Amino acid sequence: MEKSKGYILVVDDEEIIRSGCREILNLHGYKVDVAENGIQGLEKIKENEYDLILTDIMMPEMDGMEMLEQVNRLDQDLVIIFITGYATIESAINAGRKGAYDYLPKPFNPDELLAKVERGLDHRDHLLEVKKLREERDLNLLQCSNERARTLTIINSMNEGVIAINRQKQIVLLNPMASKIMHLSEGRVIGRTFNEILRNPDLKKSINDSFEKAQSQLRSTRLQFDTVYGRAIEASITPIMDENKVCIGTVAVLFDVTEEKKIEKMKSDFVSYVAHELKAPLGAIEGFLNLILEGVIADNPEKEHEMITKARDRAHGLIALINDILDLSRIDRKKSLKEMGPVDIGELLKETVDFYQNRMDSKSQEMNMELQPDMPPVLGNKEDLSRLFANLVSNAIKYTPTGGKLSILAKVTNSHVAIEVKDTGIGISKEAQEHIFDEFYRAKNALDNKITGTGLGLSIAKKIVKDHRGFIEIESEEKKGSIFRVLLPVINQVR
Amino acid sequence: MLMAKRILLVDDDPDFIEINRMILQANGYETDEASSTGEALEKIKANDYDLAIIDLIMEELDSGFSVAYGIRDSERTRNMPILMLTSAQEKTGFRFELSRDQEWMKVDDFAAKPLSAAELLTRVQKLTGEKTI
Repeated sequence: MEKSKGYILVVDDEEIIRSGCREILNLHGYKVDVAENGIQGLEKIKENEYDLILTDIMMPEMDGMEMLEQVNRLDQDLVIIFITGYATIESAINAGRKGAYDYLPKPFNPDELLAKVERGLDHRDHLLEVKKLREERDLNLLQCSNERARTLTIINSMNEGVIAINRQKQIVLLNPMASKIMHLSEGRVIGRTFNEILRNPDLKKSINDSFEKAQSQLRSTRLQFDTVYGRAIEASITPIMDENKVCIGTVAVLFDVTEEKKIEKMKSDFVSYVAHELKAPLGAIEGFLNLILEGVIADNPEKEHEMITKARDRAHGLIALINDILDLSRIDRKKSLKEMGPVDIGELLKETVDFYQNRMDSKSQEMNMELQPDMPPVLGNKEDLSRLFANLVSNAIKYTPTGGKLSILAKVTNSHVAIEVKDTGIGISKEAQEHIFDEFYRAKNALDNKITGTGLGLSIAKKIVKDHRGFIEIESEEKKGSIFRVLLPVINQVR
Repeated sequence: MLMAKRILLVDDDPDFIEINRMILQANGYETDEASSTGEALEKIKANDYDLAIIDLIMEELDSGFSVAYGIRDSERTRNMPILMLTSAQEKTGFRFELSRDQEWMKVDDFAAKPLSAAELLTRVQKLTGEKTI
């Protein structure tokens, strides 16, 4: 049978993306279908056997994330690539965790599209190969009447990679998981020596050692290494002895710990960031106190008062920072512990604006609110959502000069409440927009204008939005102002 | 008449610059300031200083070293004394020891901030080659 180049489904609510992708992919010999939203997409996926799905995340009716969850249940070994305007590491990790293979940041050019699609289809081939092996294995299980076949079936179903090496140092067994995490194909490596096939020097050395030192130490050795494809692997190498205590081979069991390592690193990075951010204000406070105690400004009471005021301001900043860090960890706690209920967004926005009225008045800022009446409630945690809007509104006030205009817009779009918080402030550069939701990130123009902040407000906002299965995005131009848009899903109405 | 020694203070935290400036000015030093790697390197190119006091962590974890290497790379400033300050050794994972790390750090002295007035002045006097009284 002739191998077709691939059958692709493009799901996007924007006509231009659908037709553009179709044209480019057709031109390169792919067969293409399109759908306008998740529901349509899902129907097509049930009808046809696609190799790859390109899908937008934010769409009316059913969004990409929800569609992905449903597709996963169909178990078709489909390769999903997200088209996303949210080109952040978080959204990519989140999509990856839910089973997406890759993501394509918007805007993209034809070459970028084709590269992603080709890579995705390679992966699809790999999935089908694995599926075939799995099916063969399942069949074998039915037929297996002897111990050996049964054992092999068990090894092949293991979630850990297994590589067995004989006395001649040839690879005699490579289970599907080992083939996956080490990027080796079984057909190519069986019968060849591990020295030819394996690349990592530490792994090779450990296996060699297991042969040479087997008699003196029977225990297995453990090591960690990174593959050339960037996976972190933990390996356990165990020599196999015959009854005369002669080493007749070695078994390497491999665990893929890439995700664990990533989380570990994020945690330790966060702790060192926090330590630094806490130390800086304390250092400044100590410095100001030293000036006073050591009499450097002894005969200048005015200056002394100024120094004490500055020390107090840094203490204030430190308290704000600690509160933000406590909030972050509170939001991170298990969602089930939090009370979720119907929240009236319009009411909450009014409360938030009331709270900040004095601050706006003191900067002679004008706030224009346009709230669609009778919006359906959002399922959420009121305290968290209140914190979300407080962060966005206080930022708008903070980064907008005296006399500037602010506005809040809220309306219902399909299944979401859409909220816009707009300011006419200093704005955020394109470069800074990419990092604006990162913990402790502060844009350069904010620092230049000496606007104080902890660098945590927007990362808290983002976490809250994510917890509510919503979306947040930013549109901004330097010196013109910023718009923060939030989408929160409304509670499903009973029909 | 003896010329006042001129010291460049490099830190992205304006409070630390102010603290050190007040100590130094009260003790007869002239000071100049820079709040980033780029600004520091420009000022060093344009002016002569008897000492640079540089914060390690500014826009990058190792910004201070970039400034130090910049100073050592130029014939004119190669011998300018450098005092490196940091508030976060934990962050870089390093425990610096002058005896061991001086060679690659390209600095003449290294200290955790904030320094008390007495500590700062002792180090500054030593680095600018004055005799302590």
